[in-house]
Order: sequence, then structure tokens, then C-alpha cells
Amino acid sequence: MAATATLWSKQMRKFLASPEEMFGLLIQPILWVVLFGVGMKSMLSAGMPGGGEPYVAFMLPGIVVLSALSGAIGGGSVWLTERLRGIVKEYLVAPIPRLSILMGNALSTMTKSMFQAIIVLVVGVILGARLSPNPVGWLGGLVLVAGFGLGFSGIALSMASQTDNPGAYHAMIMVLNLPLLFLSNALYPLATMPTWMRIGSLLNPATYTIDGLRQMMFRDPSALAGGDPLPLWLCWGAVLAFAALGMWLAYAAFRKSIK
Amino acid sequence: MNEGLQDGPAIEARGLVKRYGDEVVAVDGLDLSVPANRIYGLLGPNGAGKTTTISILTTLLEPTGGEAKVLGLDVVKQAGDVRQRVGVTFQEMVLDDELTGRQVLDYHGRLYRIGKAERKAKTEELLALVELREAAERKAKTYSGGMKRRLELARALMTTPEVLFLDEPTLGLDPQTRARIWDYLRALKEEGGMTLLLTTHYMNEAEELADTVGIIDRGKLVVEGAPQELIEQMGADTIHVIGDGERDAFVEKVRTLPFVQTVDVGRTVIQVGVDSGSKRLVEIVSQATGNAFEIEDITVSKPSLGDVFLKYTGRRLRDTDSPQTQHRMLLMS
Repeated sequence: MAATATLWSKQMRKFLASPEEMFGLLIQPILWVVLFGVGMKSMLSAGMPGGGEPYVAFMLPGIVVLSALSGAIGGGSVWLTERLRGIVKEYLVAPIPRLSILMGNALSTMTKSMFQAIIVLVVGVILGARLSPNPVGWLGGLVLVAGFGLGFSGIALSMASQTDNPGAYHAMIMVLNLPLLFLSNALYPLATMPTWMRIGSLLNPATYTIDGLRQMMFRDPSALAGGDPLPLWLCWGAVLAFAALGMWLAYAAFRKSIK
Repeated sequence: MNEGLQDGPAIEARGLVKRYGDEVVAVDGLDLSVPANRIYGLLGPNGAGKTTTISILTTLLEPTGGEAKVLGLDVVKQAGDVRQRVGVTFQEMVLDDELTGRQVLDYHGRLYRIGKAERKAKTEELLALVELREAAERKAKTYSGGMKRRLELARALMTTPEVLFLDEPTLGLDPQTRARIWDYLRALKEEGGMTLLLTTHYMNEAEELADTVGIIDRGKLVVEGAPQELIEQMGADTIHVIGDGERDAFVEKVRTLPFVQTVDVGRTVIQVGVDSGSKRLVEIVSQATGNAFEIEDITVSKPSLGDVFLKYTGRRLRDTDSPQTQHRMLLMS
């Protein structure tokens, strides 16, 4: 625990000392919400698919998840750089658990995703989305995003542990990134998808994160989901299982890389 | 500190083997014993297995065979305890250079769970030791190569290790900086309570610093001893002969000369240890005239560790590499 906190604090301090990184991290989700959200809104006639709610509200959870995805990719990049530059060796000769090394990285990624999520929500509200009146729901939503971020951080870390080539890492991770975003209910409702796509989306942990977010954080969730929402317990179960799976994959790949 | 370990060696390896796949044998049955509170210099060319040995001893790599103990603790079975009590600097620069010098030291101390007050005191003490006080608030990426090395040394000392491993501590540094690092290391030795194992391919570094030198070649320890003893074995003076033709016949004749103490035949150089170089030079040369051996180059020198190395490995250890070639080697290794 102490080692995880130390490594987390180190990553956060580096982040706070780098205005460029902070700027990029904060601006990217804002651009998504403003450019994509506003564009789509003007194209879609009122009432679809948000059912009275603006499209911005519909797509906000998707942008939150997308930000978590790009955050995790960045976390994997940091890890790859630390591996290639030998910095990981400093951690490995220290008397700390191996898992704490990965957790330090994943938790700092998650923390950044939380910042992003909050900014996305604030911008969304300014643009007309209406949040649920229950702050417990907001908190639950953030925890759910954190779980998803942890899972995908794990996948990114496992990939970054298996290659020594930053180009290969980015190529592999983009192949995963695209279906995670587009083969989900982030941009279009599950109910209107063709069957094959719905099946694909239901295999995607992002779908459960987004559905859970809509239910916990926004008003009129059934309208937002464009049909019956998924059971909330299933959303939680799927996301927590994904978080555990991701970290397990990362740990297994890391163990193999230091043999 | 564990008093019980004072009797045993600080570092001990028996039959240590590290293989990568079926082809590469980096360490090939290495035996090593380093007494406590000494400086031991592991000397060898690039690829001799020095870094692999350090990686095993610092628990970064598991050996394929044999066993190694540090402070009496098995490096595989008791890796956690070993990590707690040793420090290391790596061959390449390993610094999170987005952090300031002070932050690098502080985070390192936190990883080892050193309390805040102690961390602070130790940081100040070490920044003073390696003369980085004025640069402490600057990010490490603005440091010169020598400053980075000094910061790494300070980082390794943050945890007051009982055994300190230094892998090529002065590789690629300019002569002044090297001399400064040597001064710090000597000061550490004076202070006592710490065993140092350093690898180097600089002869003079081993000669300057080490109480005991072990020459390692192709993953094996070929000879070990105090630098002066090793050198004295070579005779009072060494005559190096390079030539072409009937080498064997020449060597045989030289061997029979009464004043010749040792003859070592390398791939290109023949080393002859004699009682007095300047006096015997002519006599050595005259041995060639009767034979079909033509001397191309002949030099006389006081023997050095380089000559010892040549004697035991049959190869020269290039200790006059330019910084550029060293840098290239570093990148390749």
C-alpha cells in the first residue's frame, strides 16, 4: 500500500509539474463534448435518441469512458517509457510488492480520468444536460468509471509489458480502442442497433460502464438508454470483473517480462 | 545491522550460471566471495558477464543454476530481505529526470519506507556529499552526465545499504568527474560499514579503488587477488613483443633465458616479464634475429592490471577507449 501510494504520488507530481500534459488532458474531453456533441445535436431532430433529453446528455457518459480509455493508453505509454529507460529497475530492486508497482501507475491514470470525468460533466451541464438530483449517484458513477479505467489500464499495461516498441504498442492499443468506443452504446442506443452489433456491444465492458453512468448520474435514464436499461447490478458486476481481469492480465505480463 | 553476519562473506556465489535460451551463456559457473567492508572490483571486457552477475546479486534476475548469497541471504528465496539491505547503481543512467534532484532522493527513500525526518536529513547529507546542493531544485533532465551519475550514487546511498553494487560507475564520464566519483567512493570506504562491489573495464579504476580485483572473462572468474599482488606476479618489468613469423620458436628461446620470469602468449602480443626492461631489451630482440621471426613492435613498461588481464585471458582489455566508442557499447549492451 505504501509503495503504491508513493508511486502514485510521484506520477501525480510529475503530472502537476507538466502544464502541457495537464492542458492536453483537460482540453481533449472538452473538445469532444463541444465539437461532437453540438454537431450531432444540430443534426438530430429533438426527441431522438434522447427522448426529450438533449443528445449531449446521451453522449456524455461515452465521452467520460473515451477519456478514461485515452488516459489508460497514456498510462501504458508512461509504463513502456519507464521500462525502456530502465526506471522500472529502480522499483524492482526496492523491497516493494511487484503488484504495487503496477497499481501505482494504474491508480494515477485513474485519478486523471476522474479529473477528466468531472470536467466533461461540468461542460455537459453547461450545454444543457441535466444530472440526477442524487449526489450518491454521481459518486457511484465516478467509482464505476474508475473501475473501467482500472481494467483498461491493466490491458494497456499488459501490452506495454509485452513489447519494446512504442509504435507497436500504439498500433495494438488503437485496434482495441476503436471497437471499445464504437461497438458500444456510447454514441448510439443499444435498442436501435442491428443484432450483431448489439451482441458485440454487450460483450464490451464500456457498454456496462456507460449504461451504469446513465442510470446513476442522469435524469430520465430509461429515455437516455433508448429502451430498457441494463440491470444496475449487472453493470457493476461486469465493470468490477473487467477491472480484476485487466489487472490480472497486467500482472501476468509484467511477471513474464521480468523473468 | 546483523552482527552475526560479520564473520561470513558479504557476497558469496557458488557455481552461478545464467543462460538465455540455449545459445547464450552470460555467466558460466561463477564463484565469488567478497569479505565484508571491502571494495571488490570485478574487471572484465564488455560481455564478460559483469552486469548479469550484478543483476542476479541484486535480485533483478534469477540464476539458471548455482546459488548466491548477499549478507547470508539467498538472492532468490530471500529476495525481499536482500532488497531491503543493498543499494545499486546501474550501468545506464536510470533517472526519472522529470523530477528534481531532491525529489529523486526523497521518492527513493519513501519506497524504502524511511521516515520523513530521516529522509530529509539523509537527502541534505547526500546532496552535500555529491556536491549537488545548488542543483537540488532543478529537474534532473537539466543535469550533465556527471551530475546525473552523482545523483544516482546519492540515491543508492539514501537507504544506507550494507552492500553497494556499482555497475560501471564512471562509464562515459570525463576524467575529472571520474576522479571525483573515486573520491566519494574512497570516502565511503573510510567511513566503513559498507561492502562495495563494482564492475569496471577501466584498469586504473580497479587499481585505484579495489582491495581485491577479480578478473572475469566469458562468465567465469579467471583470477583474483589484490591489485598489487597480481601485478607483482608479472615480474619487475614487462616487455611486449608484436611480430610476425615463427612465434613458437621465438617464445621457446625466450623462455630459456635466465632473467625471464614469465612469458605469456596472447593472440597478437607476447608478454615477457623480466627483472629489468631496459637492460634486457636488446637480448630479447637478439633472440628474434636467429629465427624466422620479425619483430614489428617492442615496448617496455611497468606491468599493470592490463598485463595481468592479458596474461589470463589472452586478450587485451581496451582501457583507452574513446568516450564515443564507450557510448556506443553502452547502447549496444
